[in-house]
Amino acid sequence: MSGQQFNSTQDYVASEQLMAGVNVAIALQKPLLIKGEPGTGKTMLAEAVAKSLGKKLIIWNIKSTTKAQDGLYMYDTIQRLYDGQFGEEGVDDIAHYIKLGKLGEAFDADEQVVLLIDEIDKADLEFPNDLLWELDQMEFYIHETKRTVKAKHRPIVIITSNAEKELPDAFLRRCIFHYIDFPDEALMEEIVRTHYPDVEDKLLENAMEVFYGIRALRDIRKKPSTSELIDWINALQIGGISADEIRAKLPFVGVVVKKDEDLETVRQKLD
Amino acid sequence: MFSNFFYTCKAKGLKITLSEWLTLQEALDKGLSGSSLTQFYYLARMILVKSETDFDKFDLAFEETFKGIQSENEISKNMMKWLDKSELIDMVDEEERYRMNEQDGIQFIDKEEVEAKFKERLRDQDSEHNGGSFWIGSMGKTAFGNMGGFMGGIRVGGKTGYQSAFQVVGARKYRDFRDDRMLDNRQFQLAFRKLRQFSTRLDIPKTELDIDGTIDKTCNNGGYLQIVMDKPRKNSVKLLLLMDSGGTMIPFSSLLNELFQAVHKSNHYKDVKTYYFHNCIYSKLYKTPECENGDWIDTEWMFRNLDSDYKVIVVGDAAMAPEELYSTSGNYRGPNGGLAGWDWLQLLKRHYKKVVWLNPKMAPGHAPWREAETAIKELFPMYKLTVDGLNQAMVKLMLNK
Repeated sequence: MSGQQFNSTQDYVASEQLMAGVNVAIALQKPLLIKGEPGTGKTMLAEAVAKSLGKKLIIWNIKSTTKAQDGLYMYDTIQRLYDGQFGEEGVDDIAHYIKLGKLGEAFDADEQVVLLIDEIDKADLEFPNDLLWELDQMEFYIHETKRTVKAKHRPIVIITSNAEKELPDAFLRRCIFHYIDFPDEALMEEIVRTHYPDVEDKLLENAMEVFYGIRALRDIRKKPSTSELIDWINALQIGGISADEIRAKLPFVGVVVKKDEDLETVRQKLD
Repeated sequence: MFSNFFYTCKAKGLKITLSEWLTLQEALDKGLSGSSLTQFYYLARMILVKSETDFDKFDLAFEETFKGIQSENEISKNMMKWLDKSELIDMVDEEERYRMNEQDGIQFIDKEEVEAKFKERLRDQDSEHNGGSFWIGSMGKTAFGNMGGFMGGIRVGGKTGYQSAFQVVGARKYRDFRDDRMLDNRQFQLAFRKLRQFSTRLDIPKTELDIDGTIDKTCNNGGYLQIVMDKPRKNSVKLLLLMDSGGTMIPFSSLLNELFQAVHKSNHYKDVKTYYFHNCIYSKLYKTPECENGDWIDTEWMFRNLDSDYKVIVVGDAAMAPEELYSTSGNYRGPNGGLAGWDWLQLLKRHYKKVVWLNPKMAPGHAPWREAETAIKELFPMYKLTVDGLNQAMVKLMLNK
């Protein structure tokens, strides 16, 4: 493999498969689609990739109302209409009212960037299909100004999905796919230690035991995720809780368990 | 190269297109697999498979094409035969097994310890064992084997009794992701998305441009632009979930948990209410799955306060003794409220316009020997709790007639 390689960074531990996934996607110049349980670090991956390769990160957050066009460019017609009524300066120049979206920004950048399309499944079902051409060819055309925006350097595209909606086949065909498994205890320990290198062994051990215990409860409604464990350990450290108290008193357990019903379940079952 | 693998994948039901196959060739040309079989496995999987639900099919195809991949804990054929006792499963009373566990009071055990012991037994065991507490066998209470009562251990072949075994040795890792085997949360959620009824009469901010209104106002304004915004359309469906939490439902608890999570993750409903019942619906509905007496609401209160527009999903196995359904003292856990379970179900049907019943172990076709199930099928449309069944049920809930 030639060129730059992605490796685990100081703040982000990637499994070997995940690293291979990123590097294959870069080598083949295809978007990398990441799926996995919430809180397994899908979004953080893009930050880590950008940091590891020393590239700028552009984030396009997808919401349920996002349209593909929003990512390319926006023509602010209403502003132009208002301006036109009062004869503002620059109304005759359409380019004045064209604003590039996140995808446009990534194409237009002078150096290669990492583009994160976050939670693509939040958008409308047809959304991914509307981006096929743009992601394949890495260019789009602005009708109003008759300008073609073409990527000077193909951005590294990372797409995350929480699997709320099924993505269209035509879109999937073009992607490299990686599913982030929930980390096992060894990997989890490594992850926590990258965040808090000085964490006390006993504290970490007890906290992880309770954490996996909670995840194993069958009637829990929202399983706690990696990011919640990390927050909890931070809280335990700041609060100066001693390791022996964790199991017995469940201090700050609200950081890990967010629902009232779940809190009750946890207190009952773990007592 | 490997075109045999391509066709094996196809035969296992993976939808691989030529362009993806060519991408894999390109990746191999670039040396991305590093001439290692393991790396090739991941490389091929990330390019050819686009959903974790298909990982299992891929594993099968891969194993068939590149034989000789074995995991460490190999289970001998003989042992699998000793354990294959599916005919015994009906003899095991589920509550009995549950109690067996509670007596021991063991909830969490050390995974590594179990694994180490498992390997040890695997080496030493030379005969068949059922019902014991030491060797790997069926119906026992060691941490190994199947159909046993132990809550966290290693299941060896057979059918799952409880779904909490650390790992299923001898089975494939991603089997539970398969969509034709088991419902996962995503598919539940997708099905629940079908329940949509849009309305603009809700109390939310105006964020959408009302084009007709804007044109009207602008004309009235003598041509000077005046923009009118309107409320976006929102889902107005209200959902009432009634779940059976009786003893016979224990084997399905993780399935119900998934269903429950899916409903609560689909936060596009106007309102969701969940109550629990034990075997059949009587005068009280419980607020928690534990169904503790006292922690309940009156079923009549529900009728008064949750109007008939609520769409009702009942989840239960409809496995009741005839007297539980027809006798006015059939509720052996709580009050009957002067009516038999059947009458309460009739009231439910009368009050709500749309009720469906989801059953995780519905008998296929006509099954007269399941008296209660057959009777309830007459009252409510009943669907099996699978992707297909759930989709049909959602359509039923949305139809006008």
